[in-house]
Amino acid sequence: MNTGPYSDEKVQKYIAEEFIPVKSQCLWDKRSELMKQFDIAWTPTLLVHDSTGKEHHRIVGFVPVNDFLAHLKLGKAKMFFNRFRFADAIENFTTVIEQHPDAGAVPEAIFFLGVANYWKSHDPKGLRRAYDTLAARFPQSEWARRAQPYKQIPL
Amino acid sequence: MTDIKWEKDFHKAVELAGKTHKPIFQDFWFDG
Repeated sequence: MNTGPYSDEKVQKYIAEEFIPVKSQCLWDKRSELMKQFDIAWTPTLLVHDSTGKEHHRIVGFVPVNDFLAHLKLGKAKMFFNRFRFADAIENFTTVIEQHPDAGAVPEAIFFLGVANYWKSHDPKGLRRAYDTLAARFPQSEWARRAQPYKQIPL
Repeated sequence: MTDIKWEKDFHKAVELAGKTHKPIFQDFWFDG
């Protein structure tokens, strides 16, 4: 039975179309090999892996539907980014930012969009634009602070 | 309503992902 975020049609469709979904039950008095392998210490813990089973994104705790979808897309984007597939990463980070503008995952997506743009073009202006966007839209976020060094890059 | 076909076996999910080139979404859950 689909409950919580899984009862939402958009979530169901996105997971069914874009991922191989797997559920792993946790028993605290008898931790499974998978719980040990992935250091699971609280639930829900949601992981996005690439097709070899390597982890690229982790969400711990309940997240509402809009945040949930944004995190799934951010996970895919980070998977492409970590594999140096920057055009795919840019497309997926942009999707997070444009389709879920109020989601908690957006500042991280903006930061990594800037880095992916830099890697793809070797033009540092992408980093400066990421800083400018974070400073304007999410000035209190940790991601705005992480982007502070890029403030010095001329446009 | 779209049915999510959850795998229970992570290793089988990796096998399927390898064949389809799709990423894996894994939900560690606790019933309590």
